[in-house]
Amino acid sequence: MTYSVRSATVRFGTAVALDDVTVEVPAGSVVAVVGGDGAGKSTLLRALAGEVPLDAGTVETPPKQRLGYLPASSGSWAALTVTQNIDFVAGIYGLAGEELAARRAELLDRASLTHAAGRLASQLSGGMRRKLGFVMAIVHRPALLILDEPTTGIDPVSRIDLWRLVSEAAASGAAVLMSTTYLDEAERAAHLVVLDRGRILVQGSYDQVRAGFAGVVTQAGHPVRAEWSWRRGRVLHEYWPGGDPSTPSSPSAPSSPPAGAAAVAPDLEDIVIALSLARRNAVPS
Amino acid sequence: MLGMRAMIVKEFRELVRDRRTLGMLIVMPLLLLVIFGYAANFYVSSLKTAVVGPQAAQAAKALPSFFDVTVTEPSGTQADAETLLRDNKVDVAFVTGQTPVLALVNGSNLFAAQSAVAALNKAGSQVKTQVLFNPDLKTSWVMVPAIIGLILTFIGTIITSIGMVREREAGTLEQLAVMPIRPSRVILGKIAPYFLVASLDMIIVTVLGILLFSVPFNGSPFAFALGAAIFLFVVLGLGVFISTISQTAGQAIQTAFFFLLPQILLSGMIFPLEAMAAGVRWIGYLLPLTYFTMISQGIMLRGAPIASLWLPFVVLTVMAVVVFTGATLRFRRDLAPGRPASPAGSQPAATETVSAA
Amino acid sequence: MTAVLLRASHVTRRFGAFTAVDDVSMQVQPGEVAGLLGANGAGKTTLIRMLLGLIAVTSGRVDLLGGPPDRERRRRLGYVPQGLGLYGDLTVRENLSFSARAYGAAEPALPPALTGYAGVLVRELPLGAQRQVAFLAALAHSPEVLVLDEPTSGVDALARAALWDTIRAQAERGTGVLVTTHYMQEAQQCDRLLLMSDGRLVAAGSEADIIGSTTAVAVRTADWAQAFAALNAAGAPVMLAGRAIRVANADPAELAGVLRAAGVEASLQPVPATIEERMLMLARGSGAR
Repeated sequence: MTYSVRSATVRFGTAVALDDVTVEVPAGSVVAVVGGDGAGKSTLLRALAGEVPLDAGTVETPPKQRLGYLPASSGSWAALTVTQNIDFVAGIYGLAGEELAARRAELLDRASLTHAAGRLASQLSGGMRRKLGFVMAIVHRPALLILDEPTTGIDPVSRIDLWRLVSEAAASGAAVLMSTTYLDEAERAAHLVVLDRGRILVQGSYDQVRAGFAGVVTQAGHPVRAEWSWRRGRVLHEYWPGGDPSTPSSPSAPSSPPAGAAAVAPDLEDIVIALSLARRNAVPS
Repeated sequence: MLGMRAMIVKEFRELVRDRRTLGMLIVMPLLLLVIFGYAANFYVSSLKTAVVGPQAAQAAKALPSFFDVTVTEPSGTQADAETLLRDNKVDVAFVTGQTPVLALVNGSNLFAAQSAVAALNKAGSQVKTQVLFNPDLKTSWVMVPAIIGLILTFIGTIITSIGMVREREAGTLEQLAVMPIRPSRVILGKIAPYFLVASLDMIIVTVLGILLFSVPFNGSPFAFALGAAIFLFVVLGLGVFISTISQTAGQAIQTAFFFLLPQILLSGMIFPLEAMAAGVRWIGYLLPLTYFTMISQGIMLRGAPIASLWLPFVVLTVMAVVVFTGATLRFRRDLAPGRPASPAGSQPAATETVSAA
Repeated sequence: MTAVLLRASHVTRRFGAFTAVDDVSMQVQPGEVAGLLGANGAGKTTLIRMLLGLIAVTSGRVDLLGGPPDRERRRRLGYVPQGLGLYGDLTVRENLSFSARAYGAAEPALPPALTGYAGVLVRELPLGAQRQVAFLAALAHSPEVLVLDEPTSGVDALARAALWDTIRAQAERGTGVLVTTHYMQEAQQCDRLLLMSDGRLVAAGSEADIIGSTTAVAVRTADWAQAFAALNAAGAPVMLAGRAIRVANADPAELAGVLRAAGVEASLQPVPATIEERMLMLARGSGAR
């Protein structure tokens, strides 16, 4: 079963949050959405959850019973303990008795939260609280799992735990759509989507995205064109969208790197930044 | 010194942006001034009066204008007079046909009764005065029924609104929206504990009031419970409504306070409604507490039957329906902004999206 | 200018029976960017609060710009807390005006990226812009030392790069910067790293110093789900990276055995470990997370 939004457009007043966006989320795979502020990540996730009406396009989403959602906020009730949180959510989805107890024990163990079962959610560290939110989102074995920035602000070790939990969910057959600001997570996904101001810049598997990337990225101490460069570590990278003879070029707006410039193999961060700059500097691509 | 000036400027800027606090700072003192100016009046200027018994009409004409005769029944008996008082149709009832003339005073309207007794004492031995329902004209007897309503209002608006705003503040409202639980169930589920607590509180205060102050309970407990339940729905609905227009608990409390203060001052609890200038009195008639106080005082002090209290019951029921429906619709918009209002009984998912296996 | 801007000497901080920071010594020099890493609960925030003089030390000594961290010395410090420290109900201009005046500095000019936001309430800004404003506010009084607590959390790649540009520029002017971060790529942008775990400073220096003797094995297989499940079930510290599975501090022969028993075909290859793997091993060592 593949869930999706197709040709989806969402407007909030005059602002266009999503512009003709098509994203498919097949069962058993993880789709990662990346993008900056205002890119439309949350709107896309909420549209697939059925929470935001579309101004155009269609949504294929399961009924609420089979949907799991982790919002960008805490995801758990602060005044309840870990166990009470899980029980509350399980109750709404109709899990009870022995089945609930077994499922809860299994999930707490997988999330390494068993030792904190009696602790108030407000007293958990950020990473543990997020893991609790995740457990609450999958307690009812949803067919579609939607996670809004599940790892933002979380320490690296908890992030690894969360990623392992996400992988396990996908391996058990759930369709997973998650947004993230960590590009290394996007690289690990089966399919990644790069959003920028409501439009899809590029989507596909990491290999496809890399293969489809046009242009050259160079590295130097000083950039030739400031508006096409960004900092990576101690050096600056620069993007040359042309590199193809049919693209017109002039001394003031060169489209090819100067001879002798050091090219680098672009990673996902380079690609995302390069494409965002291309859109910003309005190069038809 | 530098830092302090910057601090002052910043605080002023934040204050100006905070509409609700500004409202309290400016509107509240004006409101209090107007209310205390026009409403605060313990002196009742005229009393609704009945004259019952032989030559009632002549006797009515002989009364000073202070007694505003609205009912004359030449063939009525003392029992009829007492019924009129019990149904709160008049403040004073004269029973003619005996010497001295019997003046029955409605003790549940405290200030009217006090004014009546003062006027009647001037008549000397011509009139025998008897105060019904509250023979000693005790303030506590009149206050306790009103305070029961005040407590229900307090819990209903302030406490409920805070409880509901908590979800919004914590960001968990979004999660509830995605779960398969209907908005009406969320509201009812959230309100139920407050309903129970408020009911418990009410029972405790009523019992304590009776024990400590010897306040009577002359009417039907069932009617009282019914009135309280309807009133609770009104104030709980207000609490839900306040939570839909507040982002934080602080705002919720401020807004609830706006709703609470006028009810304390203008529901007839402290200043009698009849004594208020007409320009302010109409506000009192818009407030739910005014009507609940009619019910609680009527039942506890006068043993009034539901039939005679039909007006406050009906008004409260209408208020409950309107407020609750409005609050629920607003809350549902917060919980399910994307989904159209679903027809009763069906799953919202079916209307807009393709359901998957 | 004093030689060392921030210094902690054998600093310990206890809260009742709980030791948040345990005998930590570190320093930050002018012109360098020092990265403070560690899991949640490692003691980073507590250490920072002691360096800033916001809470007292239980034992040891803290120096800010050559002396105890009092109000006068804090005047020469710029601090951006995790929560940004901005007033959501004031505009960008108003926030900058307030903090500039509080420090006795001139109100900073807005960079081109933010001029459109001058009159906008801070709580209505996108996160990236909010972080930029917080930076501006902290830099307005030309501090000699900057302390930044997770300055780029939740921000996209392009905006993160811009923020690090600012950090670098400050360091080049001689400011000393202490940064905490959860993004391991940003760890690579620092001149020096400090790794805390359970209140102690377990490693300091370059990335290689932090990774220490941690090793890793990459497992390449077509059947990643099975391999992952098998290794996870065997209790191996496993994580995903791109197309491959990585296992930290593992014996390739042992892994091969587990995979064979699960019927998974895979090729194993030792690879350089990452900082995250070091942190993973530290977390497993200490038990509860």
